[in-house]
Amino acid sequence: MQGKPIERQRLSRRTLLAAVLILVLIPATIMFGVYVLDDRKYYFISLLIVLYTIVPFAMVFEQRKPQARELIVIAVLSAIAVAGRGAFFMLPQFKPVVAIVIIAGVSLGPEAGFLVGAVTGFVSNFFFGQGPWTPWQMFCFGIIGFLAGILFKKGLLKKTKISLCLFGGLSTFIIYGGIINIGSLLMFTSHFTWKALLATYISGFWFDMVHAIATVFFLLIMAKL
Amino acid sequence: MRDSFASYHPIVNFGYFVVILVCSMVFMHPVFQMLALISAITYSVMLKGSRAIKFNLLYMLPLLLFMAIMNPAFNHAGVTILFYLKNGNPITLESILFGVAAACMFVTVIIWFSCYNEVMTSDKFIYMFGTIIPALSLILSMVLRFVPRYMTQIKVISNAQKCIGRDVSQGNILRRARNGITILSIMTTWALENAIETADSMKSRGYGLPGRTSFSIFRFDNRDKIISMFMISLIALVVIGAVKGENTIRFFPSVKAAEISPFSLIVYIAYFVLCMIPVIVNVVEAVKWKHIESKT
Repeated sequence: MQGKPIERQRLSRRTLLAAVLILVLIPATIMFGVYVLDDRKYYFISLLIVLYTIVPFAMVFEQRKPQARELIVIAVLSAIAVAGRGAFFMLPQFKPVVAIVIIAGVSLGPEAGFLVGAVTGFVSNFFFGQGPWTPWQMFCFGIIGFLAGILFKKGLLKKTKISLCLFGGLSTFIIYGGIINIGSLLMFTSHFTWKALLATYISGFWFDMVHAIATVFFLLIMAKL
Repeated sequence: MRDSFASYHPIVNFGYFVVILVCSMVFMHPVFQMLALISAITYSVMLKGSRAIKFNLLYMLPLLLFMAIMNPAFNHAGVTILFYLKNGNPITLESILFGVAAACMFVTVIIWFSCYNEVMTSDKFIYMFGTIIPALSLILSMVLRFVPRYMTQIKVISNAQKCIGRDVSQGNILRRARNGITILSIMTTWALENAIETADSMKSRGYGLPGRTSFSIFRFDNRDKIISMFMISLIALVVIGAVKGENTIRFFPSVKAAEISPFSLIVYIAYFVLCMIPVIVNVVEAVKWKHIESKT
């Protein structure tokens, strides 16, 4: 009975924080980019914006003073995802991370889903090498876990294999592929054109496809229902 | 070779890398870029020796060339038209120059990150953020510990399964795949069970109770103070230069860079010294060591 108000208060605090970030800090950063840096530093600015989106989750999580059990379960799931990424490293893009993140989001809630995704993205790069791509991967994995949790709460995502696999494949292809490709384009050219974006999507098509298939495959195996 | 810059306080290390990465990403002026690129390469070679040379030549050089070519193919702004492509799009001098500059910037950032990976080990990162985000950095340290642990455990499980003929190296392909999945499932169950035990053990030892302190091996001593003061004054100089517009360059429609003046020379030198701090620290330390050695 008492869980409800706390939940709502927590959500609203995060919403407030997110609103401040989105309405004040992000436009300020973009303005800073346009006027001070001459509007040529897309990558730097987008990197900052991606980092801002991760901050509210971290802050809310810290303020809540999580219990040991909660911490450990998140850590274990991330570790399994990192180890899984390591185990399949010889197959490019064939990684179980998204599948595990989705399972975490569905069974532990949106917040835990985001954290498992972001932590996995961060820690796996200690093994594979940190770089300017780290925040993008953290954000993409995290947001997929968050979405999985929210959709499950709203009842749109069911605990059936078909529904999970469908969501897994689509979200990997559209969300992960969609955002990561923008990130890599900004990293490579730092001059944005629609044509170049299209070319990036086309050249990244098979990578995203393999990644999506891998997610569906791992969800098929792991989702025991 | 032992890196003495890495033995400084984590705040100094982390601050240095944050400043240097932001500067490398923001300053597109050719002089600044060359200075950053030279220092990044020098430091990476100092840290990793022949591995860094191989990495820079094998991966960074082709990447640089590829990116420099990519940009003019998509970007047709600029006033100096060199020639036209078959489909009628012009290739301009400005877009080629911009491609080279952007490629340089990217390669510099990647090389800085490769240095970062050597210097900022995960324990330093966790120490730094332990006070701001204690729960998350605890998660980070646990994940970092769990990964190698799971790798060992998976070998234990796999050996046990091999005794009863159910390892991934036994049977036909379908059989092998099924055995592999069983091993992973055993692994996951073990991991989760083990996790609950760890959590209970943490709780019974008072995790989360108020008034607990943590131990760390890092100390902010005098040399850290000296080097941070030095770094801050250099950063101030560079920032003044940035505000005065000494490091801006405009690529489109025509290339226009800030001219070289006595003041800009000072800013260049300050930036170069800032980038070279780890290298300078290492060289000074090596000279000191040689000096002490020769005395005895």
